[in-house]
Amino acid sequence: MKTRIDPIQLSVLQRRLKSITEEMGLTLLRTTRSPILNEARDFVTGLYDAQGRMLEQTEYIPVLAFALQPACENVLRFFGDDIHPGDVILHNDVFSGGNQNNDVAVFKPIFHGKKLVAWTACKGHQADIGGAVRGGYNPEAREVWQEALRIPAVKIHERGKLRRDVWNLIFANIRLKIVEEDIKAQIGGCTVGERGYLALVERFGRQRLEALLAQLFDSTETMVRKEIRAIPDGTYRGESWAFYDGVSDGSKMKINLAVSVRGDEVTFDFSGSSPQTPGFVNAPYSATASALMLTFLMLINPDIPHNDGILRPIRIVNPEGSFLNARFPAATTFGNSITGPTSDAIFRAFSQALPKMVSAGWNRFLGFAISGHDPRHDRPYVDILFLSLKGGSGGTWGADGYDHIGLINCAGGILAQDYEMFEIHDPHFLLKHEYLPDSAGAGRWRGGLGVETEFVIRGENVMGVAFGDGVEEEARAFGFFGGKPGSRNAITLRYPNGETRTAKTKEIIRGIPQGTVFHQLAGGGGGYGDPRERPAELVAADVSNGVVSIEAARKDYGYEEN
Amino acid sequence: MTFKVGIDVGGTFTDFLLMDRQGRTSVHKELSTPFDPSIAVLSGLAALAALRAMPFERFVRDLELIVHGTTVTTNAVLTGNAARTGLLATRGFRDALEMRRGVREEMYNNRYHPPPPIVPRRLRLPVTERVDAEGNIVTPLHEEDVISSLEEFRNQGVEAVAICFLHAHANRQNEEAAARLVREALPDAYVSASCEVLPQVRFYERTSTTVLNAGVGPILSRYLRNLTQKLEAARYRGKLLIMQSNGGVASPATVARLAAMTLLSGPAAAPAAGLALGYQDFISVDMGGTSFDAALVRGGQPAVTTSGTVNRYALALPSMEINTIGAGGGSIAWIDDGGLLRMGPQSAGADPGPACYGRGGAQPTCTDANLVLGYLSAEFFAGGRVRLDLQASKAAIGERIGKRLGMDVVAAAHGMYQVINVNMASAIREISVQKGYDPREFPLICAGGAGPIHGAAIAAELGIRRIVVPRDSSIFCAAGMLRTDLKHDFVRSCARVLPRGKDSRVKALLAEMQREARATLKTEGIGSAAQRFLYSMDLRYLGQYHEVNVGVPPKMLEDWKAMRERFHQRHDALYGYSLREERTPVELLNLRLTAIGVTRKPASGREPRRPASCRQAFKGKRSVYLGGRFSAVPVYDGERLGHGNRLAGPAIIESVNTTLVVPRGWNAEYDALGSCILKT
Repeated sequence: MKTRIDPIQLSVLQRRLKSITEEMGLTLLRTTRSPILNEARDFVTGLYDAQGRMLEQTEYIPVLAFALQPACENVLRFFGDDIHPGDVILHNDVFSGGNQNNDVAVFKPIFHGKKLVAWTACKGHQADIGGAVRGGYNPEAREVWQEALRIPAVKIHERGKLRRDVWNLIFANIRLKIVEEDIKAQIGGCTVGERGYLALVERFGRQRLEALLAQLFDSTETMVRKEIRAIPDGTYRGESWAFYDGVSDGSKMKINLAVSVRGDEVTFDFSGSSPQTPGFVNAPYSATASALMLTFLMLINPDIPHNDGILRPIRIVNPEGSFLNARFPAATTFGNSITGPTSDAIFRAFSQALPKMVSAGWNRFLGFAISGHDPRHDRPYVDILFLSLKGGSGGTWGADGYDHIGLINCAGGILAQDYEMFEIHDPHFLLKHEYLPDSAGAGRWRGGLGVETEFVIRGENVMGVAFGDGVEEEARAFGFFGGKPGSRNAITLRYPNGETRTAKTKEIIRGIPQGTVFHQLAGGGGGYGDPRERPAELVAADVSNGVVSIEAARKDYGYEEN
Repeated sequence: MTFKVGIDVGGTFTDFLLMDRQGRTSVHKELSTPFDPSIAVLSGLAALAALRAMPFERFVRDLELIVHGTTVTTNAVLTGNAARTGLLATRGFRDALEMRRGVREEMYNNRYHPPPPIVPRRLRLPVTERVDAEGNIVTPLHEEDVISSLEEFRNQGVEAVAICFLHAHANRQNEEAAARLVREALPDAYVSASCEVLPQVRFYERTSTTVLNAGVGPILSRYLRNLTQKLEAARYRGKLLIMQSNGGVASPATVARLAAMTLLSGPAAAPAAGLALGYQDFISVDMGGTSFDAALVRGGQPAVTTSGTVNRYALALPSMEINTIGAGGGSIAWIDDGGLLRMGPQSAGADPGPACYGRGGAQPTCTDANLVLGYLSAEFFAGGRVRLDLQASKAAIGERIGKRLGMDVVAAAHGMYQVINVNMASAIREISVQKGYDPREFPLICAGGAGPIHGAAIAAELGIRRIVVPRDSSIFCAAGMLRTDLKHDFVRSCARVLPRGKDSRVKALLAEMQREARATLKTEGIGSAAQRFLYSMDLRYLGQYHEVNVGVPPKMLEDWKAMRERFHQRHDALYGYSLREERTPVELLNLRLTAIGVTRKPASGREPRRPASCRQAFKGKRSVYLGGRFSAVPVYDGERLGHGNRLAGPAIIESVNTTLVVPRGWNAEYDALGSCILKT
């Protein structure tokens, strides 16, 4: 029996829960040391009720939209009643709800008096997590142990006391000292969340708060169901491909998706997708679920609160053993990077039901993590090169794609480095970083522009790890409804002796000599709609701005000057 | 010469605060004239003369100072009406402006457009030249690139030229050479070189700031010329000072050169207004028709930020750290798809305005809710000049909110009141709790026309137990303007690991900034006795991405050991740890100098103390919704209350431009400055 919603108190409560998770996030932004946390903001904060249901969450990049909940459920199941005030639990294991080995979660139970009332949690991408390769991206891995230290749910504080033995065991297996500091910062973030939530319990009283939360879930559920009901009933199919498993040249993996909309419920069924691969191109269940949620949120009202209610009308069928839900002990670090292909399949499926909401393909991510020795300061350096990897997003009904936005996993949440800071930080000398003309897929609404980057590597003993996708003709960002595909990705190294080497999408390149020129093309997004319907003045503007060549304007848009 | 006047041009009203030698004040509000704001300035001055019963000419002759805050530059950028601007950039890097480092603020919104760049790509032209991170000239300037670009600029009717080259913060030679060529070839253009505007590392921020400066330069220059001509025509012979985003003022000539310094100046005088009330630690809020500004001041020092934005473009010049959200009297109530009540950020503005204005507005606004709840009086809004239509408010709220939520008009109105209060409390939480300050330790200074109606409710949300409502709360910023000093910020980037001994580059850069600072203040008529120099450095641990600003006493300027220790301490205080033991090297990024020209502040007018009783101001009782029900609440005339008067809530205090709600459990008392202090 549903009680009547009190919209005023609910609005107030929802706003308060949101500000608690935001405050936790701010704590992390200011206290963590690794740039992937405080600059790239690769973390998520959340509150869960005593049963592990999501109360509110703030993800700083979309790929973490669903990354905490499965782990939280697992932690609760594992410890059962053995949870006490002052406990702190650590977790990263991808075979028990984790989404990526590097993403380590801290969970802290919240007690009001003697009663467990809620959980607070922070999960962040660590700069290192053990395994064979510093930083964790290891295209040569064949099983999880070559990738990372596995941390199944483990107590690092018990009843308020640090378990030094466990702590030491974990950090004895991680290369970088800053990871230890960053985990401490995450514990701090949880404490901030605990304080905020207890203030709410005091304010409303435990029972009143529980009743309100139940109503909040219902209200959110109502919002989502209303959105789903607006989608015509039916079963919609979409497929897409991921390319190269890092082991066999020319290999392709298929994503087979059937979306069934029945009234106000929706099922995403990935049955029939390719089996898991021998390399690291595999996703844990949570990574696929996150990819799905972030794409779905782009199709509906994105302002729906992120709590348990949002998940209720959504069913996911993702059988174990496929490369979207790999079986133990598969290597899976590439899993988050399968988000691009997964989103493609979802947009394609919904193009039949919601043609005005879907976007054409986004440029697929191709990254290059570089590490070596910086002779200027006589110290090691590492850089993931966010500067060069940001391609364009797909056009959609009513809007061009976004230029230089980067991978859909982050959707503009991660910033490219500033040129001057980049040169101060790294022994690199930039030659070029500009929009890539003719990279955007033509369309009535064109794709977003890609970017061309060129710099000289002046580090010593440099090694690069390529990980990504998007270099094959078929892997270009696809066009929709007559729109054209965006351009391809490419990474090329020009060695000082004149030789050039084109990087594969998954490989380690060792011994890169000083003076090598790194060159990357990050491709554009796909176009939406017939390019000949694009207003001539917009084409003219793109031509005069030099982002579409006059030849391409004539050929793709049927543009005539005058 | 006996008068000073603060003039604050807002979107709806232009506020005037006139002050005489004894600190006595007169307040006036004039409808703004957006197409030429100086019209309202002049007509307001005429109205002030009339208020003083003086002939206009004599009044103007007796004026010794006008401090003027203007939003012409801000409006130009927000409405896409900046001057036609060209940009010269290092070849290979001309898109940094438009790229904004690749951010999309709404991550899930695939229709979210990037803001249009002030300079389109076809006017961002590449120049062959290159300086490296250490300041070495790798490629000298190719002058022919500049010359051919100028040809294009001339053909395109460019009015302003921005120049931003890579690492010009480390060596300005190439940029200066280019600037010379531009100034020779286009003598009428407004030229803005990054090494003159903001010689500070970070290419995107510097480019964006330089372009903003160029884009608004011609607009501000024109406006100031227009204004000074009008003032001259009126035979004004006093001083004119312009409010800047950094909370200080500057002469028209200085500010015309650094026009971007006015872009965030709208609410920048609020901290000074709070300080003038005698508080060193406070949170000030200003709630007007469309927006709510919150600021926090600690130890007499308002927080300054260098990460401001205008229309989503970076503005890295120092500005007061003020959190602005869309919450005001005009904020519109609506129901979201989950059936939850929301307030704003959409506002009904002044036209058509809230439903109760009776100008055709049908949307229920915050002001409508305040009227239904009895906080506002239909007869006494704006001192009785505007009659409010209670039935229109009830209809709008009942129809669009109450009916949909299944509640009566009063419950719906009270819901609107609560929701907007929570929004405003969140905005205060962001500048307090999230920065590590406990709001309960600060008094809440509550200003703006709508602020005092909500003050006590916001305070209760945050656990704040003391509220200050200034006498002239509706023109708070104009009051602050009369209390500000001249203030100029200088910066030089100087990236290096903290030296062990003497460093000639640091020494030279400090001397350069000091010279510039003295010269600027001197042209503004500030002698060396009134000059104050404040130094600071931006430091970080080698390998970090974010720097920490650390203040430096002058004698410690080249004592690097002490500097290092100061940084460890500051880092520890901010982030809960330092790397002192690890011996991690500390990196210097920027040297900063803030030059202050101390001005004579008018004395605040102190009121004589009177007996506590408020009987003389009692106007009667009206039905007001407080504590969950309507009851008859006494109403007082705020114009007849002053120093020493005391009363206990529940009560309503009405002044000409504001209404103060004193709920049950709060006590009000007027202090010597005429502020009403609420305590619980």
